[in-house]
Amino acid sequence: MSGGRLFRALLWGALAVALVFLALPLVAIFVEGGPGELLASLGEPGALDALRLSLQATTVALVVIVAVGTPAAWLLATRSFRGRAIAITLVELPLVVPPAVAGIGLLATLGPAGLLGGAIAATGLELVFETAGVVVALTFVASPFYIRQALAAFGALDPALIEASRTLGASEARTFARIAVPNALPGLVAGGALAWGRALGEFGATLVFAGSLSGVTQTAPLAIYERFSDDFTGALALSAVLVAVSAAILLGVKLASGARVLGDARA
Amino acid sequence: MLALEPGHTPGKRVQRRGCRWLQREHTPGALTLEAHHTLEALELDLCLEVGASECLALAGPSGAGKSTVLRIAAGLAEPKRGRVICAGEVWLDSERGISMPPDRRRVGFLFQDYALFPNLSAWRNVAYGMDGVARAQRRERAVALLERFGIGARADARVPTLSGGERQRVALARALARRPRALLLDEPLSALDTRTRASASRELGILLREARVPAILITHDFEEAALLSDRVAVIDAGKVVQTGTAAELGAAPESAFVADFTGAVILAGEAHSCADGLTEIALDGGGTVRSTGVAGGGVASGGGTSGGGASGRVAVTVHPWEISVEPAGAAGEGSAQNRLTVTVASVSPVGNRVRVGLLAPQPLVAELTDAAARRLELAPGAVVVAAWKATATRLVVR
Amino acid sequence: MGVVALLLAGCGEDNPGDGGGKPRLTVAAATSLTDAFEEYGTRFDAATARFSFAGSDELAAQIRRGVKPDVYAAADTTLPRQLFEAGLVKKPVTFARNRLVIAVAAGSGGISSIEDLGNRGVKLALGAASVPVGEYAREVIAHLPDAEGEAILANVRSNEPNVAGVLGKLTLGAADAGFLYITDVSAVRDEVRTIELPKDLQPSVDYGAAVVVGAEQPQAAREFIDGLLDGRGFDALQQAGFEPPRK
Repeated sequence: MSGGRLFRALLWGALAVALVFLALPLVAIFVEGGPGELLASLGEPGALDALRLSLQATTVALVVIVAVGTPAAWLLATRSFRGRAIAITLVELPLVVPPAVAGIGLLATLGPAGLLGGAIAATGLELVFETAGVVVALTFVASPFYIRQALAAFGALDPALIEASRTLGASEARTFARIAVPNALPGLVAGGALAWGRALGEFGATLVFAGSLSGVTQTAPLAIYERFSDDFTGALALSAVLVAVSAAILLGVKLASGARVLGDARA
Repeated sequence: MLALEPGHTPGKRVQRRGCRWLQREHTPGALTLEAHHTLEALELDLCLEVGASECLALAGPSGAGKSTVLRIAAGLAEPKRGRVICAGEVWLDSERGISMPPDRRRVGFLFQDYALFPNLSAWRNVAYGMDGVARAQRRERAVALLERFGIGARADARVPTLSGGERQRVALARALARRPRALLLDEPLSALDTRTRASASRELGILLREARVPAILITHDFEEAALLSDRVAVIDAGKVVQTGTAAELGAAPESAFVADFTGAVILAGEAHSCADGLTEIALDGGGTVRSTGVAGGGVASGGGTSGGGASGRVAVTVHPWEISVEPAGAAGEGSAQNRLTVTVASVSPVGNRVRVGLLAPQPLVAELTDAAARRLELAPGAVVVAAWKATATRLVVR
Repeated sequence: MGVVALLLAGCGEDNPGDGGGKPRLTVAAATSLTDAFEEYGTRFDAATARFSFAGSDELAAQIRRGVKPDVYAAADTTLPRQLFEAGLVKKPVTFARNRLVIAVAAGSGGISSIEDLGNRGVKLALGAASVPVGEYAREVIAHLPDAEGEAILANVRSNEPNVAGVLGKLTLGAADAGFLYITDVSAVRDEVRTIELPKDLQPSVDYGAAVVVGAEQPQAAREFIDGLLDGRGFDALQQAGFEPPRK
């Protein structure tokens, strides 16, 4: 059947195009600069600061996202209430808002002249131009990635498991902690990896809301942007590290969840 | 015993709107449930009472509301109006605004697919509900319970590695580990293969008798109901159609579903009254049978005041063990009025009996002893006569 | 980002223009030229001008990586000269002058001179070191006494990639003050107030433009730049607050 063979060829062709398109720019980053130059420029103070800041800020942001997002996703997954659809849309909104617009929105709310600016200043907390502001920007843009996955993971749980837990005397809190989260874990971890990846690459909202100052708010993407103009090698080096770290996170998550599945089957 | 409104005899329909009879003092230790609720396509309106050590089987077609009843009893669903009282504790009373959440009611719920927690091992599943037990002793108790079910060796196994029969036993152990005040079993045997089912059925029967708590058991299998339960309640479209012991239901089914459930043969046809007070039914596809008419419950439309005659479309039921098989052309001098010439379609040995499938052309089943079947040399394709008495022929509403 | 825009612009240049009429002219220009050039573009007859505004250094970096707009216009003369020496653009022409000023956000009282920028608690937004507006600012600060200069630099809270970033921080109330061109602040008088720099500190802010080597529309590019010196472009620059180039 030539029809079948043609279709298969098209499928493989489509995959090949996708892989080349997605992988080539990343490969080019590693190929362009010689490894010696790349390593040297990594040693420059600004570069390490940028990487350290990126890792710190994304980790803190992820902790906040998971801590708040998990119960929120559980509520959305297990209750139907008026306005549920709107709530879900609001949570997903940052996904479609351009990052710079997100930054402007954050400034308009949390900036010194913003809606809540006075209240925040009163507590002594400073966000704009501070690392805390970077965390805020990252949390804002990355949380939908986690919450959507968590919502789907909780939604996919067999409702009978939840009910069984309740009939066995467990309160909703205990059910959440001992049955829901452990059984939804693969989905939650995947969501966490996505959110972390997004936060790692965040640029526009950080720049507009928190600014760009080496060691304080200049995350790796911002540092790459600044270096692009007059230190292309430096930009390449940082880009290479960022790509490597992101790939490592993604791979780590895949291996961890794969191992878990295998582990269950083998036990 | 099932609580009845005074003045009625057991086996008869006792359903009354409002369940006024539940107002009185109920039997200590019993589980009473009253529910009035409209779900999407179902209007639930029923009352049930299960005695302190009694097992009530709930049977009925899909969508009749059986699972809903169980869920209401457990607190997983809440009817618009209703009451659930167990061993004197009010679990639900919509009038007084009482609604105890499921984790406060001590129920042992067995889900149809067991709902074992995949992230916990077998013993941890069993120990999950052991609130009253000190942590240190939970494993010991759980393993002991699993031993009692014969699977102590699998205590540390993870759920995906357990076989169907093992899962069923873990689920039962888990439900019992909390010393529940009531047992709610949703088709506890249907997910098992035939071989495991037989032994599991025996074990479950022993368990129910030992547990001494009210139990409601949903089943599709009449024999299962007969074996495991003390009484059977048949539910259709949200209402209780008939209650009684399995034998009572078998002897006097009040609807086609009940008859079918009890394993009766059902034949469809057109009825008309006869001068002698019997009803003659012309079966679809050929053949005529006579019936002494009604036996509890309503009859098809028409029906005069004379005797029990009826007319119109009816269904006729008779039990396989009431049908005798005679060689074709036999004289038919016995008292059996109904004689149909039929073709043998199948011969299946079941235990110490033989179930013979016959075509009239409507399908019938006759149960004979092995010896009788051999003597008649029954084989598919043979033409024989199926005979039974008019008094054993019941008319039911379809 | 400007990169993507320019790359896409570079791609689709096989056909001459929209509706078969005027050719398309791609202009890469410093952010501070936005208002002036867009106004000029509506009056430019030889072609339909499409603009990519970004920091002059970012645009230069793109040209070094092989991106070919037709015109390159920077907020200094150094970048065009470097590109010329590298053979990437034709001989640059100085076409305008601008003035560096101190811009102060509306709500920030207490800043009335350059020294005040070094006061405790003042938050400054500067251009990044590699973008002209940032270089000029640092040039000015370098000419101050050491202590003052250090105090001011210590107050820098963000190095923005272009003037839009600096202005944004001021108008949104995030920063107290920054260094911008007078042309940037004229449009936002009520949100940002201006403090002129002392004459001896004012750097020479000269804007240079050049036709890019290998441009698709060299003819129209030439005309565009000529118009900046004398014609509709010159008028637009004047209107926006630029001064004519030094003779």
